[in-house]
Amino acid sequence: MQDVLTNIFSKKVTEDFRYKDEELEELGIHLKKEINTIFGRSLAIRELDSGSDNATEIELNNLGTPHYDVERFGITFVASPRHADVIAITGAVTHNMANAVRKTYDAAPNPKFVIAIGDDACDGGIYKGTYAVLGGADKILPVDIKIPGNPPEPKDIIKGLLALMKGIREQKK
Amino acid sequence: MENAINEILHATRGRILESDIVTGKNRELYVHLEEKDFETVINFLSEHNFELAGLFCAEDFDGHEGHMLFYAFEKKGNEWITIFTLPLRMKRAMSIALTYPSASWYQREITDGFGVTFAESFDERRLFLHETYPEDFHPLQKTFKNKEIKLDAETNPSLAYEFKKVSGEGVYEIPVGPVHAGIIEPGHFRFSVIGETIYNLEIRMFYKHRGIEKLAEGKTPAECVKIAESISGDETVANAVAYCTAVEKISGIEVPLRAEHLRTAYLEMERIYSLLGDLAGMCIDVAFPVGASPFFVLREEVLRQNKALTGSRFMKDTIAIGGLKKDAPKGTLDALQAFLDDLRDGLKDAVSDVLASTSTIDRFQTTGVVRKELIAPLHITGPIARASGTLTDTRIDHPYGLYDKIRPAPRIFEAGDVLARFETKASEVLDCARMIDEAVTGLRHGEILTKGDIKDGYAIAPIESARGQSMHWAYIKNGLIDRYKIRTASFCNWQAIEHAVIGNIVPDFPLINKSMNLSYAGTDL
Repeated sequence: MQDVLTNIFSKKVTEDFRYKDEELEELGIHLKKEINTIFGRSLAIRELDSGSDNATEIELNNLGTPHYDVERFGITFVASPRHADVIAITGAVTHNMANAVRKTYDAAPNPKFVIAIGDDACDGGIYKGTYAVLGGADKILPVDIKIPGNPPEPKDIIKGLLALMKGIREQKK
Repeated sequence: MENAINEILHATRGRILESDIVTGKNRELYVHLEEKDFETVINFLSEHNFELAGLFCAEDFDGHEGHMLFYAFEKKGNEWITIFTLPLRMKRAMSIALTYPSASWYQREITDGFGVTFAESFDERRLFLHETYPEDFHPLQKTFKNKEIKLDAETNPSLAYEFKKVSGEGVYEIPVGPVHAGIIEPGHFRFSVIGETIYNLEIRMFYKHRGIEKLAEGKTPAECVKIAESISGDETVANAVAYCTAVEKISGIEVPLRAEHLRTAYLEMERIYSLLGDLAGMCIDVAFPVGASPFFVLREEVLRQNKALTGSRFMKDTIAIGGLKKDAPKGTLDALQAFLDDLRDGLKDAVSDVLASTSTIDRFQTTGVVRKELIAPLHITGPIARASGTLTDTRIDHPYGLYDKIRPAPRIFEAGDVLARFETKASEVLDCARMIDEAVTGLRHGEILTKGDIKDGYAIAPIESARGQSMHWAYIKNGLIDRYKIRTASFCNWQAIEHAVIGNIVPDFPLINKSMNLSYAGTDL
């Protein structure tokens, strides 16, 4: 018992983390609540790059790094679409990726949701109407929510996820 | 320049006359070549250690009807780039892939884009057009107007891509991708494995082919800056600066001094965040997240500095033809310098923590060796080359912007393994921080943009991105971009991985891949 108490009150081995962002914390706690009610504690996201310029991938990766650490809020990026609640698609859909995009979506179990992240995924962006792309993600998948930006920042993505939760709750009503 | 010309005359032993050589706008020489001399000259160049740095095609170039091939060569110790131009009568040329192995991908790229074929090439499979595209489709031909096309979901089985088959007792294949398990870009890796050991790897890319080069055609040079920024998100500044440099050289526009200084700082900031991501990634891939976290923290801080300086974490919409679109807001440069001190301290601590971990060293050392002999034939550049005992750095070999004053001092490591790449990249972060310091110290206020008229013409602009040397070549006709050719460092460096993984175990592949961290988007275009 004494060991446990010492452990709680003694100086921590890890350093203090000096990058606290109140807005992020608030968004995160809100999101966690939503995820708890709608998805039963955790939201599994499968990222799918259909032709982005890779900046969006970096921001999605950043969500898992110490400044953001979104696993605290119940969000996990999963390795397989089989485990996913949400497909997060980035980039305009190229002809070369179209088939893989369809297969990935089909592999995710129902119910599933699609979020398009970044300007190119939202409507094809600068590639709209050119030979190599079909256009935005909605040309090929039923998109539930679009998060624009070149690329959207990590907090924008969290706000987008909140909007998705709101949309799902309204659908359920 | 005279040296460069003499070198060519000497190497080609009378096949090229001085009158065949035209001086370009950016330390580049254009050498007119005839089909009858072609093979001999290429062999001479190879004997004299000219390195193939690019190969591309243009249609209806500078009054010449039909197709023209451009073979861009570098020679160590010479700042000038030599571009041999070969006009084609029929849409056919000789392959040079047996002499210059790096030419194979270029040739396949040209065949896909223009329908120009290469005799005696050992690989004639399509490159960036996958089986979904019809057979006679060549998007870069001038007769094809860029528009949405409808393709069948069902593909013609005769167009299916065939991977190299390795057979023998106990050999099996592991197909990976295009969709991978992490948050990364798509590409296909086909391993032929014996037990746990990789015997052969074939990489199939271009899933993200977005038609960037065609997209640029017919646009105004100013509109194309955004296209250059979209080549690869984490090379936004490098590609935008290279493209703008080409246009500035063509048009004779001088960039103001303040803009040059800020460009240098931004180029190095981009290099830093990219390298920090690599350092973190390597730790993650050996299951050492505690080691990775400090690098991630620093990278996030760099991205926030970027945002303060330019309004964008990736410094998008910042570079303009003639300088910069916007100046750094008041106080941000001082804050940047203060931050650089934190960065240096943080990096040194983080690196020594990783290098003190024996299990990490065990995974890094002797893993994924890129042999020095491969560097020149495959034109491998950047930190990968510098970790394999080769001093190659475009900022030194072909100084642009301020790099003849603010000089990089890269450290060279010999081992060529993951550990050497880790150490190379860590040391380069510190070097970049020093250069940023030099670029912004005592920086005076002043103009950041020269407005000048765009002139017609063409120029090549090499640049050192975080991943190595990229080449941009722009041709402006009637005030519009007629051809924009991009060859990123990743395009060449991907082939380093195919060689580096041989003899390694499959679970080390992600680590080797991450230690090189190549851009899929920048390769697929």
